[in-house]
Amino acid sequence: MANTKTVILKIKRQDNPNAKSHWEEFELAWHPGMNVISSMMEIARNPVTRDGKATTPITYDSNCLEEVCGSCAMLINGRARMACSALIDKLEQPIRLEPFTKFPVIRDLAVDRSVLFENLKTVKAWVPIDGTYDLGSGPRISPEEQEAAYPLSRCISCCCCMEACPQFNDDTGFVGAATISQVRLFNTHPTGAALKRERLAALIGDGGIQECGYAQNCVEVCPKDIPLTQSISEVGGEVIRQAVGDLFRK
Amino acid sequence: MAATASPVAPVPVKGGVAPLRAGQGYSFWLRRLHSLTGIVPVGAFLFEHILISNASAIGGPIAYARQVRFLASLPLVPILELFGIWLPILFHALYGFYIWYRGETNVGEYPWTGNWMYAAQRWTGGIAFAYILWHTWTMRFTGIDLHEFPGASFGKVQSEVFQTPLFLFYVVGLIAASWHFAYGIWLFCAKWGIVSGEQARKRFLILCLAFFFVLTGVGLASLTSFRSHALQPTDSAGASMVEAGPGTTN
Ligand code: HEM
Ligand code: SF4
Ligand code: SF4
Ligand code: FES
Repeated sequence: MANTKTVILKIKRQDNPNAKSHWEEFELAWHPGMNVISSMMEIARNPVTRDGKATTPITYDSNCLEEVCGSCAMLINGRARMACSALIDKLEQPIRLEPFTKFPVIRDLAVDRSVLFENLKTVKAWVPIDGTYDLGSGPRISPEEQEAAYPLSRCISCCCCMEACPQFNDDTGFVGAATISQVRLFNTHPTGAALKRERLAALIGDGGIQECGYAQNCVEVCPKDIPLTQSISEVGGEVIRQAVGDLFRK
Repeated sequence: MAATASPVAPVPVKGGVAPLRAGQGYSFWLRRLHSLTGIVPVGAFLFEHILISNASAIGGPIAYARQVRFLASLPLVPILELFGIWLPILFHALYGFYIWYRGETNVGEYPWTGNWMYAAQRWTGGIAFAYILWHTWTMRFTGIDLHEFPGASFGKVQSEVFQTPLFLFYVVGLIAASWHFAYGIWLFCAKWGIVSGEQARKRFLILCLAFFFVLTGVGLASLTSFRSHALQPTDSAGASMVEAGPGTTN
């Protein structure tokens, strides 16, 4: 019985950043517990399309296979999500796999997400502790503060929140929810707060926090359930207070 | 493993969404001004227009004429109108279309409530714009001047409201503007960090929804009161009779 059941995958492929994309269809024997990454591993073992043509294995990013590294994000049946946690049995068939649409394709499903890294650098998303001498132990962080910070610290830089955001596109150059939420994380850290003013100021530039239109897709799509819209709201309040304050003080 | 994939020569990846431009541009201020003008003065005007001035029509033609006369008697009406409503609404509307144009509505792929509301904020803005253009053209800029002849106001509105297609246009315009404003208050409070918590935003949404029903309800009551009164004069002679007081109406 079970071995007559099959899984059909339609995968959008592209040989290099400048090539045209095309679709290929694959049919795999079903077995329990399959996910999108394991299916593509099977394709790699026997890269033959559904109509019997030999092809190349699918290129994609992945690493941890347990939704903590953030590398395997792609469009699965049109929606941004992590491939390693996308169980085949819970997906409607044929399963459509596409690369993110708002990031340059490197090959097949692998895209260049360095824009998030650039944005995180611009807002200085780190705790500044580098120095030439021992700074001693840091300040204590209360359990309440830890509990508020922990969910924010779970971001895996997958960029799902940016792909799904209607405001994240070529016209706006919007920074996206992940970076704004990291600003909140590092601003609430007692040592990280040293750079608070600079982080908030960075978000006032073009493509900054103002571009958010509160569609709230980011918070729906985030695989780590990060309270992104709350972050945007709170950082938004701080940004406007600092910006207006500086009009009078600077 | 079938190693059919030959390594591709590295092609420099380009394109994609631009990173944050910290310290550049002034879109932050324009965007926040757009947000603010939606509340004051445009929203405040709508509040007055529906809940005070138009609601006075429920009290009949004389009460309505007095309200219009009161508004026309305010000091510096042309300046009040120009800076209190024409310029702000023109800015909010034109910049609103610009914001609309730059967003990529994606309710097809992500059909979630917040995303629908994001789309609805644009559509209701567009409908309100069309309605406001027509409404100000026929009421304010053409036909008998109501600032000079407040007594003709009731009749002038009746001449439109008694035509069913125009009556329906009034209803559509009312609902669109009320929704846009009510949800706009929610958006404003989220963006400015006034109501930021997940639960708080949910509760506040109910409040804004209630406000939408109040606006629409009072607006509908005013509209139907125009239809339930006998036709009033729309000429200057009749207008002074209405203003003169009881006995001229029913
Ligand atoms: C009846 C008159 C209007 C009122 C009272 C009004 C009020 C508001 C309010 C309170 C907001 C929320 C502010 C915010 O997003 O932070 C808003 C947003 C918006 N309005 Fe209006 N508005 C009106 C007319 C229009 C018109 C004619 C347009 C043109 C399309 C428009 C387009 C928009 C857009 C696109 C947004 C969303 C902005 C964003 O997502 O950032 N509005 N409006
Ligand atoms: S709330 Fe909407 S517009 Fe804002 S970052 Fe999230 S998805 Fe984008
Ligand atoms: S905030 Fe969520 S969706 Fe966005 S990059 Fe981080 S983990 Fe991914
Ligand atoms: S492989 Fe690490 S998140 Fe999917």
